[in-house]
Order: sequence, then C-alpha cells, then structure tokens
Amino acid sequence: MNAETVLAVDNLTMHYATRAGAVRAVDGVSFSIERGQSLGLVGESGCGKSSIAATLLKLLPDNARLVSGSISLNGVDLVPLDEERMRAYRWDRISMVFQAAMNSLDPVYRVGDQIVEALEAHYVTARQDAIERVRELFDLVSLDPGFILRYPHEYSGGMKQRAIIAMALACEPDLMIADEPTTALDVIVQDKILREMRKIQRSLDMSMIYISHDMAVIAEVSDIVGVMYAGKIVEFGPTSDVYATPIHPYTRALMSAFPSVKGEKRELTTLPGEPPNLLDPPSGCRFNPRCSYATDECRTSEPPIVRRGAHWAACWNPPGEVRS
Amino acid sequence: MAKYLLKRMAQILLTLFVFLSLVFFIVNAQPGDVSNFYALNPDLPPETRERLQDLFGVNEPLWKQYAVHVKNTFTGNFGISFSHYPRSVADVIKERLPRTLVLFLTAAVFSFYLGFALGKIIAWRRGRWVEYTSTVGGVALYTVFTPWFGLMMIWFFAFKAGWFPIGKFLDPVLWRDAPVDANSVFNRMILTAIIVSVAVFAVFLVTSRKRASGARLIRAASVAAAILAVIVVWLASGAATYAWDIVRHMALPVITLTLISFAGTMLLTRNSMLETMREDFVMAARAKGLPERDVRDKHVARNALLPVVTSFVFSLAFAVDGGVITESIFSWPGMGQTLVSAAVSEDLPLAVGAFVFVGIFVLVAHLVADVLYAYLDPRIRY
Amino acid sequence: MSADHTQAAAPTALWRVRVRLASRSLRENWSLFLEARIGVIGLAVIVFYALLAMAHPVLMNTVWEERIYDPVVGYSFDETRQPAPPSLSHPLGTDPLGRDILSQLMYSARSEFLLGLLAAVVTVTIGTAVGAVSAYFGGVVDMLLMRLADIMIMMPGISVLIVLSALIGVEHFELALIIGILSGFGGTGVVLKSQALSVVVKPYVEAARTAGGGHFHIILTHVVPNLLPLSFLYMMFTVTSAIFSEAVLSFLGLLDVRMSWGLMIHTTESAGYLLQVAEYWWLIFPASLSITLLCSSFYLVGRSLDEVVNPRLRRR
Repeated sequence: MNAETVLAVDNLTMHYATRAGAVRAVDGVSFSIERGQSLGLVGESGCGKSSIAATLLKLLPDNARLVSGSISLNGVDLVPLDEERMRAYRWDRISMVFQAAMNSLDPVYRVGDQIVEALEAHYVTARQDAIERVRELFDLVSLDPGFILRYPHEYSGGMKQRAIIAMALACEPDLMIADEPTTALDVIVQDKILREMRKIQRSLDMSMIYISHDMAVIAEVSDIVGVMYAGKIVEFGPTSDVYATPIHPYTRALMSAFPSVKGEKRELTTLPGEPPNLLDPPSGCRFNPRCSYATDECRTSEPPIVRRGAHWAACWNPPGEVRS
Repeated sequence: MAKYLLKRMAQILLTLFVFLSLVFFIVNAQPGDVSNFYALNPDLPPETRERLQDLFGVNEPLWKQYAVHVKNTFTGNFGISFSHYPRSVADVIKERLPRTLVLFLTAAVFSFYLGFALGKIIAWRRGRWVEYTSTVGGVALYTVFTPWFGLMMIWFFAFKAGWFPIGKFLDPVLWRDAPVDANSVFNRMILTAIIVSVAVFAVFLVTSRKRASGARLIRAASVAAAILAVIVVWLASGAATYAWDIVRHMALPVITLTLISFAGTMLLTRNSMLETMREDFVMAARAKGLPERDVRDKHVARNALLPVVTSFVFSLAFAVDGGVITESIFSWPGMGQTLVSAAVSEDLPLAVGAFVFVGIFVLVAHLVADVLYAYLDPRIRY
Repeated sequence: MSADHTQAAAPTALWRVRVRLASRSLRENWSLFLEARIGVIGLAVIVFYALLAMAHPVLMNTVWEERIYDPVVGYSFDETRQPAPPSLSHPLGTDPLGRDILSQLMYSARSEFLLGLLAAVVTVTIGTAVGAVSAYFGGVVDMLLMRLADIMIMMPGISVLIVLSALIGVEHFELALIIGILSGFGGTGVVLKSQALSVVVKPYVEAARTAGGGHFHIILTHVVPNLLPLSFLYMMFTVTSAIFSEAVLSFLGLLDVRMSWGLMIHTTESAGYLLQVAEYWWLIFPASLSITLLCSSFYLVGRSLDEVVNPRLRRR
C-alpha cells in the first residue's frame, strides 16, 4: 500500500448551539486515511459519527459551529474555505451516501437526471455524454440501465440504495462517506450491497469512511477502524488488531454485544446505562460512569493514549494491560 | 391519463348533479312555489308570468319539476331576469361570465406566483425580523375585511391619486361613439391572452430540460417577445385605446384580489418549504455541490409546491368568495356582482342562475387543479 | 409517586382522572402557547372586545341615556350636523342618522361573539360527529360522508349565503347554522376524521371493543375526547369565517340584523360617505378595523394553538 494520505483530520471539534447550551457533538477528533483505504467508524447512536460526516462536507445546520481543527483533503484545508469554493469539493472530491438513503432521491425527478445533475454541477458535459456516464455507473452497481429514466418511487429499496451509490461514484471522488447506508435494508440485500461497495471501492482505489453502529458490518468493510464514544475517538487501529485484541473497555463491550457466528458460544452482554448527555459530559474519561474498570483517575482527568504500534486507545486502565 | 380524466369527469358530473339537487331543494323548501316570486313582481306582464309558470312547471308533480329543473340547467335555461327584463338569465350570464373568468384567473395566477415566490424567499432567509413581518403582514392581508380593503384601494389609488378609474368595466364617455362594441373587444383580448399564455407555457416546457442559466435567458426573451407582439398587433388593429381602457379598469380589482389572496399561498409555501428543507434529498442536493439557488428552486421549492397546490385547490371556494366581494366593491360587471345585485333586488332566477354557474366554475377549477397536480407529482399515475 | 397508591386503592371516578390529566396538559400547553407571542396578542385583542361587549349594557344602564345612545333608534340631539365628528359625549362621533358610533360598535361586539360562538359550536359538533363516525365505522358510511365533504368544501360559503338571503330572510341564527353545516360537514369534518383515524387504531379502542363496549359508547368515551383539542382549534377558525361572512353580508345589506359592524359600513355607504375616507374617517374605520382585528385575532390564536396541538409545526 502506498502511503499517500487522502484525508487528514486534526483535532476536529464541532458544537451544536442549543437552548440548553453547547452540545459537544465532535470533540477533538483526529485521524487520517490513505488512498484506497477504508475507515470504519463505529459507536452507539448519538456518539457523533454522523456529525463527523456532516462536518467533513461542511454541511452543517445553522446552529452548528466548527470550533477548531483542520480537515485536510489532499493537502488542502477545507475548514477556511468559503461556501462557493467548498461547493467545488463536494461530490467531486468527497461524496456521501446518506443514512436515510431511501429518502435521498428527490421524488419528483428521474433518477438518471439526478445523477446527471451532479455531473453537470461539476463538469461541462453534453447531456448525451452524461447519460452515457450514468449507464456506466448503473453497470458498475449492477442496476438495469432501463431504469435510468424511471422515478425513485418505481425503485425497490435495494435499487434506490444502488442508485445512490452510483450517484456517489459519479464524479470519481477521492473519498466516499457512507453513513449507515444499509440499515434500512433487509439482511440479504444489505450483505450483497456491502460486498459490492467494498469491491467497487477497492477496484477504483478510492478511500471510504464507513459509518455504522454494527461491529459486524464494520469488520466486513474496513481496513482501519475508529471506535467513537461521546464525540471522541476512544480506540483506533487496523481492523484486524482492534477486533483481535481490543484495548478499550467500551470496544470490548460493543463486541460482546454482537453475536458471532463463527466463534465459540458466549453470553451476549449488554452495556449498562445510557450514552452520556453531551451538554454536560462526565469529567475525565467520558465512559467512566458505565465502565466496570473505572477508578478515581478515570473520573477526574482525561485518559492517556495507550499505543500498540498503529493501534491505540484512550484509557487509564486497559483491562489485561500492565500500566507502564 | 385519459382514464383518470374520465373518472374525474364522472365524479365532477355526479357532484354537479348533487349540487343542482341541493339548489332545487333549497328553492323548493320555500313556502309557496317559485312562481310566487314572479307573481309578486309587478314588473312582469301576465303573459310572461304564465309562460314562466309553464317553463318552471310549477303545476306539475315535484319529481317532474325536478327533472325540468335539471334539464333547464343543462340547457342553460334559467328563465327571465327581473332586474334585466326582458333579457334572459342565460343572456346576462353569457355576457358576464367571461369578465369574471378573466378577472379571477388573472388574479389567481398573479397571487399564486407572487405568494409562492415570496414564501420561497422568506423560508430561505430565516431570521426573526423577516419571519415576523411576513407572518404579521400575511395574516393581516389574509384576514382583512375585504370590502374595506377594496374600498381603501379605490380611495387611495383611484380617488386620491387618480391612477386608476373608480370601479366599473369601462369608461362610457370613451365608448360612446366607438366603432366596436365592448364585448367583442373583450373577447379578442381573451383570445390574445390565451394565445400568449399557451406560447409562453410551451417555451417553458421546452426549456425545462436546459441548464438553469440558459433556460432563464430564453424564457425572459420569449416573454419580452410575446409582450412586444401583443402591443404591435393591437396597435395595428386600431382597437388598442379601447382595450387599454378595459385593462385600466381591470387593474385595480386584479391588484386587490391578488393582494388579498396571495398571503395564504405565501404563508403556506413558507411552512411547506421549511418542512421540505428537512428532507434528506435536500441534504443530498447540497452534498452534490449544487449552487444554493438550484437547491432552493429545483429541489426544495419544487417539492414544497405539491402541498401548496393541494391546499390551493381546497381554498378555491374561499377565493371565489373573495372574487364575488371584490367584483361588487369595484362594480365589475361579472358573475359575482351579478349574484350580489340579483340577491339585493330579489331577482331570484338570476341569483340562482349565477350561483349555479359559480358552482360549475368551482367544479371545473377543481378538475383543472387535479390534472395539474397529477402532472406535477410523478408518484400519481393514472 | 405515593399519591398514586392511595388512589389505586380507592378507585377514582373516571371523570376525575380525565379532569386531572386535562388540567395538566392544559397547563403545559398554556406555557407553550405563551411562548408564541403572536397568539397572546390575538388573545389580548379578543379579551379587549369581550370587555367592550360586556361594558355596553352597563353603560346603557348608567351613564348613557337610552334616547341618545341606543345603537339603533338613538339620536344625538346636541349635534347640529349629522354625522358629527368625535367629541367628548360621542368619542367616536355619530353616524349619518345621528346615532352614537361607539355604542353601535360595543353593541355589535356582543352579537359578533354570540354569532361566532354559535357557528363554532355547530361546526365542531357536526365536525366531531362526522369525523368520529366516519373514522370509526369506515366503509359505506365513511364513503358517503367524505363525498358529501367534497361537495361542501367546494361550496363558496359567502356566495351560498348571498343566494339564500335572496330566498329566505337570513339572520344571525341561520347564518351560524349554514356556516356550521358547510364547515362541519366539509373541511373541519375531514380534518377531524384524519385525526380520529389515528385514534381508532389505538389499543384502548380495540380493548373497549373486545370488552363489549357499544359503538356509541366507544365513540363518545374514547374517540371524541381525543378529538377535542383539535376541535377547539377549529372553533377559532370558524369564528373568523363567521364574523367575516356576517360582516360581508350585512355590508351588502343582505342580512336582517338590527345592528352589526358590517351594517355600520352599509349605512355609511348608502348615505354616500364611503369615499370620503379622510373627512369622515369615524364612519368607516372603527367598524372596519374591528372586523379586521377580531377576525385576525381569532385566526392568530388558532394558528398559535395549531403550533401547540400539532407537534410537527412546533419550533424546537
């Protein structure tokens, strides 16, 4: 693997201003992705995964504020860019498959026209060429080209999903963000689409950020994985390492909450308590109220980084690890 | 499409039938019979009264009267008007219906366009001040006592400023020795309006596939060309002064009617826009890197239009009432003014005739709006 | 909640539970309503006119001499020219027939309220019944009621009233009845039906049916109470249209009423003062503004209530 870094996020912090105060949705997040690499972001709902996705495209609601940090795409920092210049980066360089992909197609336009629209926003093309490109994309995601000029309501759920992926690939972006794109689909279709996405991503040598709450899905699609809790990345590393030897107690809890088909039989454990209120997160390690290993240190000060090569976690007392 | 239209036509006919029955029932629920209204009217010569009694069949059994009533309606035979004696009701209506149609349709198009465009902008530029002013202003126009508002418009723009004539359809002094009569000029004006709107609509349809900037240019050019062509043709025909007189008389009622009815559309568009803006496809459109203007016009507004059209259909009856009031304030000799003056002078045949036509008008408008909606929403297939 | 235990031991009357729940939600909704300032302004205007209406009989019995201040047959003897401009004895002047405008205004306010209330009650009674029955029974009943509603929605109310006024003498009572029927069987009925549809699928309705509750018992005790908030909301809109229609009809001189705001403008018009807005403003503005203000106030209160009742519109 060459080491060309496509995206480097450094100390990214984003707050939502609400009546009750600032919600720290993304809090000092840093990571980087190389070309052709796939990053999986995993965590419970409300932990800030989707907020990261929205921040990367700078598609934030009015009450959101980018507090600090940088988003460097191929060496260009996106944070200081104005709307007009940012627009050129959207979809052309970073595209996105949305959480509720079913509803990301405008019901009043033909699907093909919506993809053409994305192309026309970035390139000057003749309509004929654009349609030709749509045909290629439909082939790529195994959709019948006969459906190009059909309306979204004529598509099934899986087809809509494929159409959205085709749309996301339209401008051959450097990075594709997929925000739980398959959660609304049934398991069989979900699995099929996952495999195809992974295949396409590899064959196009494109980078991908895949966001999900499902550890099993993340294992299937990602080279590296980041585990998020309460707006922070608590564990990060190559997928195989993280799954084989998780460091953070939260990662362990997440993994034991999902059944494994192959491994030995074990009790599924559920994590006690609720994700913290981001208006007023717990001091110290944010996971401490729910952590069975929590000590006084965890409650008072930020946890240190524990490293094992490329694999790291932010924890005071990683279980089964001797503190140095 | 044809099947859908047929189904809607059948429904409309059925509704019309029920409507006529209701009118018949109400008229017959009176003590005595319809001929009493004639019998008590001293203006009518006795032979006419007898002819009318035959026409209405008041000596026949009730079911036969009902059949006659329905037949008379469908053949456009509403009897003789008292107040316009000896003109028949059908004759009066034939003269006045086009005037109402033109006034009402012009105002409807203006108010819808204005309301939608403003609602769109208000929703997009959210802010306390804009939101507050538009809501208060919108509600004020929406609930203002229409006769008073019309009156103030007349008082200010016609009486004080003198920019417009005070009410009526035309200026009798100008028309006294005109070579053409008002109705034929007016009919030619209607024809012109139809040709121009069809042409402009065709241009819009053809350019809808084009890129936004190019389409805008072509559209603006075609509208300008149409206006120029109309001016040239009318000047050449020599009737331009007379047509201009009618237009001048029409302006203030149209403005008034537009102002009182655009607010509803505006407030609704705003709400609908705000709801649509939360949809995922809007976020997707932004993520695609579309310019804000395209996101607003092509995605948000286009989808927000659907509920607005629906409720526009539902408020048609309300709009017709507004038209009736406006016409009588401005003495615009259309169906509404006819209805009111017939009611005031107890000219029953004319009042019922006018009301039946108002009802038919609402029904047809419903049908048109339904077809338009089906065209706008691809999810509706026939 | 220790109170719950004691109440569970001694079964409380159902109505008492209802009242307690209703008052709690009322308090919550009231604070939500107060947040939308526009509705509060509307409410203030309504209260102002209600006070005017109530003050009229008091004034007539105390300071106002009936001979002079009666809204219909009074005559101001101390003015030399009628209509007289505002003065100390006639704060809003007199009309072309020498009657006191303020007295007319206050007297009419009462009948406007009565008319609005009557129309609203008729509308909501019919609308709730139509909505509940249509949603509960479905099938043919629903079909018939909804087709009827289609027709009613298409009826231009004021035009209907104009024709009827030519046929029969229309007074406040008939006016309220006709508006109530048009709206209750029409728009209001349809809205309440869609709300009732979400009620009839609730488990407690199913439970009541399984327990052998009669149709009308279930409709009355389970469906209708859940429609009441929305019904109340639609009462506001009905009041607006009732007052507006009354004003238009009496302005056109088609209504058999003793005195009303619309009639006041009609009097002005028939006396030929309609276009002398600046010179004789007191003949036009008090009545017109009152109609506009009261209509928009009820409308604004309705809109604010809509934001309270309808969470979809609520601002977060």
